[in-house]
Amino acid sequence: MSTSTRSTQTTYPNIFLPRPAEIVRTRQDTALEKHFTLKMKDGQPMLFEPGQMLEVSVFGFGEIPIGFASSPTRTQTFDIVVRKVGRVSGALTALEQGQTLYVRGPLGHGFPMDKLRGQNILIVAGGIGLCPTRSLILYILDRRSEFKKFTLFFGVKTPQEQLFLEDLALWRKSADVEYYETVDRADEKWKGNVGVITTLFKKVAVDPNTRVIVCGPPVMYKFVIAELDSIGVSRNNIYVDLERRMKCGIGKCGHCQINDKYVCLDGPVFCFKDIENLEEAFR
Amino acid sequence: MNTKSYFLKETDFDSFVEEMMKAAVVYAPVAKKHWFVFAPISSPKEVRLDYDVTILPPKKAIYPVRQDLVSFGPGGAATAIQPEPRILFGVHFYDIKAIDMLDLLFRENNEDWNYLAQRENTTIVGSNIQKVSKRAFWATVGKGVKPQGHDAFITKLPKGYVFEVFTPKGEKLLACGKFKPATQAQIDEAKKVNEEILDKCPEKLSHGSHEIAAKVRAAFKSKLWEELSRTCFSCGTCNIVCPTCYCFDVQDNWNLDQVSGQRARAWDGCLLEDFAQVSLGAGASENFREARSQRYRHRLMRKATYLNDKLGGPACVGCGRCSAQCVPDIADPVRIIESIMES
Repeated sequence: MSTSTRSTQTTYPNIFLPRPAEIVRTRQDTALEKHFTLKMKDGQPMLFEPGQMLEVSVFGFGEIPIGFASSPTRTQTFDIVVRKVGRVSGALTALEQGQTLYVRGPLGHGFPMDKLRGQNILIVAGGIGLCPTRSLILYILDRRSEFKKFTLFFGVKTPQEQLFLEDLALWRKSADVEYYETVDRADEKWKGNVGVITTLFKKVAVDPNTRVIVCGPPVMYKFVIAELDSIGVSRNNIYVDLERRMKCGIGKCGHCQINDKYVCLDGPVFCFKDIENLEEAFR
Repeated sequence: MNTKSYFLKETDFDSFVEEMMKAAVVYAPVAKKHWFVFAPISSPKEVRLDYDVTILPPKKAIYPVRQDLVSFGPGGAATAIQPEPRILFGVHFYDIKAIDMLDLLFRENNEDWNYLAQRENTTIVGSNIQKVSKRAFWATVGKGVKPQGHDAFITKLPKGYVFEVFTPKGEKLLACGKFKPATQAQIDEAKKVNEEILDKCPEKLSHGSHEIAAKVRAAFKSKLWEELSRTCFSCGTCNIVCPTCYCFDVQDNWNLDQVSGQRARAWDGCLLEDFAQVSLGAGASENFREARSQRYRHRLMRKATYLNDKLGGPACVGCGRCSAQCVPDIADPVRIIESIMES
């Protein structure tokens, strides 16, 4: 070996290098959740599928995985919603319009649009489960003729935790979606349904031949699946959008494993049939 | 490239190492008190090819304990990938197998050049096992998985070394030493040395990889996990000393100027309590592997079953590091697997 140089000139691609995005608009949706509308600083559109996610970061604080909350049918900007729960999300939610954050993505597998088109759709969203599913909700509403009956269930603990208030107002009146909502605990102003999200199944007859998307807190899944089983929805037609601790988002760091699957790589959207036998998938 | 075999006299060994050190940073086994570690060497005299096993596996020369991924500052972000030419010298066959597994895992699906760049710039020279560590079981684990991906292999004979070359990178090393073509007798002797050591493993698995994988997977809900992990500290030592573990955490670190810094990764371990824990806000959290028995089970599932299809065998190479370094001595894969096979 004759070379004595101790560095190489080769440029290697770095999958961890994030790209800057400008905050076009912010909205404090609830006490904890802040809604951001973003635009890539390089002017390129963000090309993604509903249900995919991003690693979002503030340098010096860190990076967290967040699902797209807007539809790829609207290409100029894209949305995320950040719940303030820790160091990174705390730094993110402190940002305002005009400031820059960094993103890597899109990452993971989203909703299987080829299997959803032409079908009856039911989306069951609990709490901030509405954020990633909003990417699909808006997609369906933008291309309404491509889908048959569209039903949406949304449940939160208290009325104060409802997100996307403008959207909810539209959906309540819209003929394009049969929208049902509930709260676990009502306040004096709440006039709607009170009870956990499964109580909404009493409000409407769900056709067994429906493609169902479920996204919510970990405890929610088994109760919703039990309802769907009793209706007779095939487990092949149920899709769940799951969350785990995640660092890299590219199938390396190991944190998001469910048995032998990686949520960041094989998910976050899974066909229920594919993971129903994984012991670590549901509680 | 066909294997070419050479011979290096004992008296020419030091000059060979010295020449390699001029070409690249040489990582080799060196003594550290009564243990051994892989470390960059500053003299051929430090090299201890008679080591039994090192505290940490040699993967650290390619995949360091802590590694900057990205640097950041007011002007934005920049890649931190900066490989240097390295020679990883004196790697036992079980660790060669482990590095080959990491090569695949960092390349599959999404190529991670934070690993692959240093890997490309690393020449790996294997060496025969001269002393066997007390908890080794490399002779009976993953027999179907052959050591590969290394560039050369050196075998100690009484009066010198047989040096086998497998790749162009390995061939380059020939210029560093006074090599002569090996005689057939020397080649045969080296082969014998490497075969005979396989009978000297103190620990043995009594079943094949497929059988073990099936039974361990089927034992997911067994009570054994709870029993075996009762004295686990959740310290993560078994992960940190493992040559096939590659999980990591990512954290941002500020420089003293408070405007620039690095995003870095560091080895992490699935035995640690917060490995799968997410925050729900207001002090609440969800831990997807809350019980230590769940974390203990996950490690063994990863080692014995989950990755087998990808790797052609278990993600365990039988180095015995976890067995030897676990304080309550409950991490030994042989004992865990044998308990499950007997249950």
